[in-house]
Amino acid sequence: MEKLAIVSEALRLELHDVLGPAGLLTEWAQRRTYESDGLTGYRAVPAFVALPENRDQVVGVVRACARHGVPLVPRGSGTGLSGGALPHPDGVLIALSRMRRVLDIDAANQRITVEPGVTNAQVSKAVAGYDLYYAPDPSSQVVCSIGGNVAENSGGAHCLKYGFTTHHVLGCEVVLPDGEVVELGGPTLDPLGYDLRGLFVGSEGTLGIVTKVTLRLLRRPEAVRTMVADFATPAAAGDAVGAIIAAGIVPAAVEMMDNLAIQAAEDDAHAGFDRDSGAALIVELDGPAAECEASFADVVGLCTDNGATAIRIADDPAERARVWKGRKAAFAAMGRLAPDYFVQDGVIPRTRLGECLDQISQMAAAAGLRVANVFHAGDGNLHPLVLYDGADAEVTERAETLSKQIAELCVAFGGSLSGEHGIGADKACSMPTMFTADDLAVMDRVRAAFDPEGRCNPDKVLPTPRLCGERPGPYKPHPLEAAGIIERM
Amino acid sequence: MTAETEAMIDVAATHRPRDLTGARAAVLAARDDDANILVRGAGTKLSWAGRPTTGRAWHVIDTRELNLLVSHDAGDMTATVQAGIALHDLQAELGRAGQEFGCDPPGTAGRSTVGGVFVANDGGPRRLRYGGVRDHVIGTTVVLADGTVARSGGDVIKNVAGYDLGKLWCGSLGTLGLVVELTLRLHPVPEATRAVRVPASAPVAAAVVRDLLASPVECSAMEWASVGRGALLLVLEGPARGLDTQVDAMIAIVRRHGAEAEPVDGASDQLDTWRQAHSAEAPATRARATSLPTDLATIAEALTAAVEGTPVEASLYSHAGLGLHDAVLTGGDTRDHAVVVNRWRDAVTRTGGHVVLRERPAELDDHVDPWGDPPPARYLDLMRSVKTALDPHGRFSPGRFVGGI
Repeated sequence: MEKLAIVSEALRLELHDVLGPAGLLTEWAQRRTYESDGLTGYRAVPAFVALPENRDQVVGVVRACARHGVPLVPRGSGTGLSGGALPHPDGVLIALSRMRRVLDIDAANQRITVEPGVTNAQVSKAVAGYDLYYAPDPSSQVVCSIGGNVAENSGGAHCLKYGFTTHHVLGCEVVLPDGEVVELGGPTLDPLGYDLRGLFVGSEGTLGIVTKVTLRLLRRPEAVRTMVADFATPAAAGDAVGAIIAAGIVPAAVEMMDNLAIQAAEDDAHAGFDRDSGAALIVELDGPAAECEASFADVVGLCTDNGATAIRIADDPAERARVWKGRKAAFAAMGRLAPDYFVQDGVIPRTRLGECLDQISQMAAAAGLRVANVFHAGDGNLHPLVLYDGADAEVTERAETLSKQIAELCVAFGGSLSGEHGIGADKACSMPTMFTADDLAVMDRVRAAFDPEGRCNPDKVLPTPRLCGERPGPYKPHPLEAAGIIERM
Repeated sequence: MTAETEAMIDVAATHRPRDLTGARAAVLAARDDDANILVRGAGTKLSWAGRPTTGRAWHVIDTRELNLLVSHDAGDMTATVQAGIALHDLQAELGRAGQEFGCDPPGTAGRSTVGGVFVANDGGPRRLRYGGVRDHVIGTTVVLADGTVARSGGDVIKNVAGYDLGKLWCGSLGTLGLVVELTLRLHPVPEATRAVRVPASAPVAAAVVRDLLASPVECSAMEWASVGRGALLLVLEGPARGLDTQVDAMIAIVRRHGAEAEPVDGASDQLDTWRQAHSAEAPATRARATSLPTDLATIAEALTAAVEGTPVEASLYSHAGLGLHDAVLTGGDTRDHAVVVNRWRDAVTRTGGHVVLRERPAELDDHVDPWGDPPPARYLDLMRSVKTALDPHGRFSPGRFVGGI
């Protein structure tokens, strides 16, 4: 304890030298405001909070941590939903929110370079005058930061057509865990060497701290058409989505809400959804006007053919904004249904939607809990919201278990634990349901190539015995192993 | 295998695995022999990359019998393939369901394998619309040098669980491990394709491309070639009903620059001809440059300047909307090619891009490094750490990658 206190005081002095009094939080009450990210169930008060204003300060902080062997945890805006920015109690939390300059706009080449604390929405705002925008649009886009988006490989409603953060990051300046600075990628395509930028995006803060990002921008589409179609059941709406895909149409977005989610969203946002609808399907197309019109007519026809009970076309930007407000309000609106909720982020093959939702509903009934479903129907990314009352410890535990079971159910359906929220602290112990010990060990080898001391956002993404017990999660044989094709080394 | 590469290494054994078990056995056989491993598909890119390190014997792993389409889930727009399947065969199979793998490198009529295209990070004109091969691969199964089988990604398009190791394999040219299986995201085959040809010098072409990128017209490809006084091929794809309006909008933009747009018959075939121009056969040399799209004219002028006073003739084929350029050098000897490469590389580097050599006579490497100057020390160091973490004894194609990795 005494030794820790000595290290801590020496580190404090060094951090103070790097950051000045305004850039270092040492008081418990101040540090406590950083105790969790958007996943508030996990909390830890960090030993120090660093608020660097530029890259050199980040380097100074990281070097000080390296000298003292202290863990560091990077944080953007703290909106993450998997505990990726959960502080380490003996470590330094490095919040990048003061690094919020737009450094360069190259409109002709459709590129922008920003500091990590710039919010997602600010990027699009900064280039709106050039008819450009930044495609990934997580629901938290007004608040969440580009640095956080890079760490989590964030998605959003429009990634069916436009892809995820990884498709839009050209280059990153990264401070490695030893305090050295490297440029991964760059303004041109196909940088020399291994695509370490591609590896870094989505590494959840475990490989280093991004201090500058060059992003690819897109021309704003000429036309956008949005509609809401009502169906008797989510499975019926899922069939309509199948028909749209089979027709060779790639919508910009396809979102679905089930009845419980519609009711909550409607109470909150009054967006004009039909409260009696079994499922609301939002379909948005964009692109050149003539192409968009032609495909939109097809989509309306396909929804009707597949049993839509009503179709509402959002004809003007205000109406479209209202539809999206309703959809994006769905999470926050859950407060009207229950005091608390857990949100999952599993992905299933889209074609198995009906089956999967049936199973979720059976599991919810068995647990005596309600689950509302809001999801990106085009790519099978579910967001089941498990409703509960946190005042009751037993109910909370039941809800947490159900939530975890739903994520693992997605893996059993041939999908993924997470489509966009990340693994973080929350799902690290479920990773063995999706990957073998060998798969995970290889990821760990790559991690160690960047961070041999394991100090950069430790205990996130990959399961450890300390975190998950000696046998992290239930062991499940690799499909290839079960088939006798491979053996365990 | 090209004769040149074969001549450089001492091949002790050749393996032709048909499944993951066989692939792993092949890697372990090389380990037990303390041999290096050269992975090859159709061999169309064996002349890319640097010279293999000599010293150990080599085992060649030929992936062409790993040629199964394991599954095609049309409704989910994904497919899982063994790495050695020929791209041409895969496209034919997917085409029956109206889908395709949105990657169109030159040489697809040959036997290029999907795994080869992936580890070489190769692509073609339609990358402008569909993205690079890195963007299409959503899951991978790889055998590492110690026989470890490592999967990453998965079978669904949207997935952020774990590190995206597929990005590491893409472009690694077989220096990190043996890619055995890949899961791909697919796209619908566009209903119609239209193209116009625009005679245009590089500066005019650069201006047209810039305006098209800034316009709502969504081109699938923007190609520029230095043939004659230079020409652009602009390609649009999509539902037939919407396409005429887009073609008209595109032609209007072209005319603003005083250029003429000539409609092209057989747009897909024309595009294929332009695509194939991006490859070369020895004794020609192909050098690949990267730049910002707006630097097209600078890149083209630098190439013209680089051949001055040499017997070399240079043609430039650019994916103009992407900033990727292939110079094909003919005539002269390898020393002359080296002079041109060095001059062009200097100029391209000054714009912030770089030049690497692809197909070329093997002797060219006596005079010029195929990768150019090594990258910054800490970055190279980091790449070496990744290599060592995955292949600690340096068995997979040592010497062939950037910085001698």
